[in-house]
Amino acid sequence: MQAEAIDFIRFTTISPATIKRMSVAKLIVPDTYNEDGYPIDGGLVDQRLGVIDPGLKCKTCGGRVKTCPGHFGHIELVRPVIHPEFAKTIYLLLQSTCYNCHRALLTKEAIEEMKPAIKGIVESEEEIDTSNISVMTTIEEEDQRMVLLKKLKSVKKCPHCASVQHKMKLERPTFFYINGNKMKPDEIRDWLAKIPDDDLKSLGIDPAATRPEWLVITVLLVPPVNVRPSITLESGERSEDDLTHKLVDIMRINQRLEQDIDAGAPQIIIDDLWELLQYQVTTYFNNETPGVPVARHRSTRPLKTLAQRLKGKEGRLRYNLSGKRVNFSARTVISSDSSLTINQVGVPRKIAETLTVPIYVTQWNIDKVKKYIENKEYPTIINVITKEGIRKRITEVNREEIIKTIAPGYILERQLIDGDMGLLNRQPTLHRLSVMAHTVKVLPGRTMRIHVSVAYPYNGDFDGDEMNLHVPQSLEAQAEARYLMQPKDLILAPRDGKPVMFTEEDEIAGAYMLTKDDSYYTKDEACLMLANVGIYELPKAEKNGMYSGKEIFSMLLPKDFDFEFKSGNSLVSIKKGELKEGIINYKLVGEGGELIMMLFEQYGSDFCMNFLLNVAKMSLRACAKAGVTISVKDYYNSQTIDNERAKIADEVEAKAEELVKHYEEGKLDSLPGYTRKETLEIEVMAQLEEARSMASKVLSKHVGPENNTMLMAMVKARANILNFVQTSMLLGQQAVRGKRPSRGYSGRILPYFKKNDKRPEARGFIKSSFSDGLKPIEFYLHAMGSRDSQMSKSLVTAQSGYLQRRLINAMQDFYVDENLSVKDASGSVIQTLYGGDGIDPTKVRLSAENK
Amino acid sequence: MKDEKSRSMVTPGEAVGTVAAQSIGEPSTQMILRTFHSAGIASVVTTKGLPRIIELVDARKRPKFPMMQIYMEKGIANKYEKVREIWRKLEDVKVSSVVSQFEEDFRTGSMVLNLDKERLALYEINPRFIVSKLSKMESITADVDGDAVKVKVKKKESIKAMRTTFVHVLNASIMGVPGINKALIQQNDDDTFYITTSGSNMEKVMEIDGVDKWKIYCNDPFEMARVYGIEAARNLLANELIGTIKEEGLTVSFRHIGLLADAMTYTGTIRSAGRHGIAGDKDSVFARAAYEETVKHFINASVFGEKDPLRGVAENILIGKQIGLGTGKVKLAVKKEDIKKLKSKER
Repeated sequence: MQAEAIDFIRFTTISPATIKRMSVAKLIVPDTYNEDGYPIDGGLVDQRLGVIDPGLKCKTCGGRVKTCPGHFGHIELVRPVIHPEFAKTIYLLLQSTCYNCHRALLTKEAIEEMKPAIKGIVESEEEIDTSNISVMTTIEEEDQRMVLLKKLKSVKKCPHCASVQHKMKLERPTFFYINGNKMKPDEIRDWLAKIPDDDLKSLGIDPAATRPEWLVITVLLVPPVNVRPSITLESGERSEDDLTHKLVDIMRINQRLEQDIDAGAPQIIIDDLWELLQYQVTTYFNNETPGVPVARHRSTRPLKTLAQRLKGKEGRLRYNLSGKRVNFSARTVISSDSSLTINQVGVPRKIAETLTVPIYVTQWNIDKVKKYIENKEYPTIINVITKEGIRKRITEVNREEIIKTIAPGYILERQLIDGDMGLLNRQPTLHRLSVMAHTVKVLPGRTMRIHVSVAYPYNGDFDGDEMNLHVPQSLEAQAEARYLMQPKDLILAPRDGKPVMFTEEDEIAGAYMLTKDDSYYTKDEACLMLANVGIYELPKAEKNGMYSGKEIFSMLLPKDFDFEFKSGNSLVSIKKGELKEGIINYKLVGEGGELIMMLFEQYGSDFCMNFLLNVAKMSLRACAKAGVTISVKDYYNSQTIDNERAKIADEVEAKAEELVKHYEEGKLDSLPGYTRKETLEIEVMAQLEEARSMASKVLSKHVGPENNTMLMAMVKARANILNFVQTSMLLGQQAVRGKRPSRGYSGRILPYFKKNDKRPEARGFIKSSFSDGLKPIEFYLHAMGSRDSQMSKSLVTAQSGYLQRRLINAMQDFYVDENLSVKDASGSVIQTLYGGDGIDPTKVRLSAENK
Repeated sequence: MKDEKSRSMVTPGEAVGTVAAQSIGEPSTQMILRTFHSAGIASVVTTKGLPRIIELVDARKRPKFPMMQIYMEKGIANKYEKVREIWRKLEDVKVSSVVSQFEEDFRTGSMVLNLDKERLALYEINPRFIVSKLSKMESITADVDGDAVKVKVKKKESIKAMRTTFVHVLNASIMGVPGINKALIQQNDDDTFYITTSGSNMEKVMEIDGVDKWKIYCNDPFEMARVYGIEAARNLLANELIGTIKEEGLTVSFRHIGLLADAMTYTGTIRSAGRHGIAGDKDSVFARAAYEETVKHFINASVFGEKDPLRGVAENILIGKQIGLGTGKVKLAVKKEDIKKLKSKER
């Protein structure tokens, strides 16, 4: 059954008459089930409201659990109560209408004056096309509404009947006072009922949507039982939904109130009960109403009533409507596989056997498809959907029979096979590259395999990360995934147009080893490296029969490719597809790699992807051949380095102490915007932090690329000089909140120190290195710094998460129109030409700086 | 290659808003939270990193650390003395900032202000100047007393009242532009000078002779919008955003930032990207309710009989319809003849 598409949704309030018309049952018994566990007639789970127990039939529509949509009931309240959420609206209406004649407190001229401004809302009945109302005018209208109401509040004398107005007061949540006397809901209702439609229109309220007397509840709508299903516990005991509990409470009070009124009880008792009824109804709508005690379950847990069901992250809107659960998906741990392309995903056999893709049976494929069903094992059909839409599972018993009945129009659900499209996703889904379409490759094992280079856009690693796989079902979705979402087409990020898939770590080190000036390989080695990437010809050999790494690398480049890249004083030059000069470094093939960018833009996605994969493969060979590895030996310092390190520490400490002395003598001038004490801290901190950069200078002077740790840091394969310095020289200054540690005991951080110890060590300056090992005190100070950075990291994720949500919410409706202007959902133009030039940052061939 | 430009155009229907939001949001995960950068010696304190981004996107009425850059008119920019003269007029000097020490005497209702000579010299003022400024206050009399200034209340009151008066005296402004806490003269590479300030007051600074009225920079978007107009505020927002991001060593295409800045300013006023700004002004009830303050939006919508036109992304996800962006924006049309051809083939 295909439902009509929804054009628009209008919000109105509901009138008592409508409620009665909708209702299938007037509920009178404040209870649910009788002793036999059978629903009580006229109770809250009356069978006319729908069924939730399997086996029972709905008394209204005759449907069963799955077919009955549920039906509304109603409770007639003996005394009216205020709808708590509308209390403010009621208050405004009471303030802006005359207490005597119930007309709007508005002179006729004022009405005429105001009417054009609020036209848009008042005459919305005739006006269907809202797209013309731009955001600007909506704001103005709202302002006008407020201005109008404010003006009305100040009116002292009714312009219609000339009676003097009384002072109104709203005591939250639902109590109204006139001249200090309490107003009963029925009085309020009578007043509201007498406000004429025309006056409401001038107040901006559409009387067709809301008659104000409807805001005072006389008949309470009871939602169907399947909105508030009860749960049967293991013990056989029934546990009712919070809403049912609340409704029972309302009915109980309502019944008691009725009995007391009938019995002619004193007014005070009736009023008390009336107020209690008001409380029950208030909490039924919103159990977090300010000023009202929270209604609780027997277990003291606050009840989740209507407002709570809708609200917030776990509410209906954000949890069930903005985000929905899906079928045809899988989730498991990811691991790396460099035999795959970045476009593929290795899917475990078990997942492939479970997930399905629909095949539409036509006259052209029917024979092929029938053979498919014959398969008893893996690539086979799991379900058959008949023309009538009935899903049947294929078993050994009915296989032959089903094959006979298959005809065009049937849909078969086939197991996942190689070449299917799957959307792979890793959370948090921060950008669109967190969902990409991979072609399936069914593999043994239990993990999903992806190429290492495609882990970066997902921001994933293989230490236990899990990812989700979704299989698009419709042909449209499959085509969209294939043409728009494959990683190879998304190598350049929309954020800045730089590559997000590139070579990393060992591959960078390997590329360096391969293409550095003195790297030569024997014929065997060259053959091995080239054959590894599927190239079966050799470049020109050098005179001595060796092959240069540069030439081997050049085999990966297109023959007509020219490229030049300058950074600092090093030049990389590629002419006619040959690397003539320079070393392939991270700037070319690593993060933000210019070479990848140029190849993508000139030779397209397929070539670029293969280049990326081949560079990685070849580099890894070169890396293995060269043997890039680290050992503890890398961190053994020579005597000179050790001496230098002591010198640096002494020097920095001396300078810091000098600053302190300056400060104490009052010679230190304060920096603008800081006190002298703060200035001292800043300058001392700057001085002590200098130690690291001094140390790294020394280290890079004395240690060269023969040290593999240094080599890796130099070519930006992994780690940086700072890591090296901290491991082999000194840790340097620890910081807490960007300053030196300062809190703890009075005048000192730890009782280990003397009071007012001014030495840098006493304030978190660590002279040991990781390879030395830290002294206990140093360890403690280091832990302080680590904790601080952990804390701020977790704060940043929380804050930036909310920022992201806000930004998305603000801009998600923007799209580029046919004339390349940017518009939002209401049709307002945000930019006349996207970005000022209409250019897409992922498509343009510009160096990254200019994108 | 000659077709480079048309090849590089955006595709109509592209959900550029979402892409922009993600492009700004994703790198913000990698930003620092610390407000200060201790590295900047002799520069003005400003908010940096994620807090600054949030401050801008939120459209706060006043930044935490407002600042200005003031440039001079052409003839003066390279003359230090002239620039210094302007600088002298800028900094909001309070009585307390030139006082080294003060003594209150509540029996006589007087206070002696001992002045800091170095400070006086720095601002090129003397005690008499201070007295002349103080004499404008009605409740006190002020006199020069040697190197000091003596302040006396005209009418003796309770100690508490006198104390308040004295605090007022100490906080009294004697020279400069209100709101400017600190001003610093900076030198450009080409030997011209400009002034950076912490605290801002564009309107008043513009009135000072010698200041280039067309080139004042201020990091407060609202002030910018008030003085130079909304276009200037839009550019300020975009530049501040991209500057903050770049400072962290991250790169984001200017298109994304520009779109955000345009979205915030295209109505003519600065709107925040939050519930009281762009998101709160949406046409769709569902879009607003799904974002924040769910119940409030439904309640108001029902009273005013609002209609949700279901055009945006959020609403259509909610009701399970295809969204109207990207591939959902376009439709496929097939010619009647083609269908006929297909059908004839079938037979």
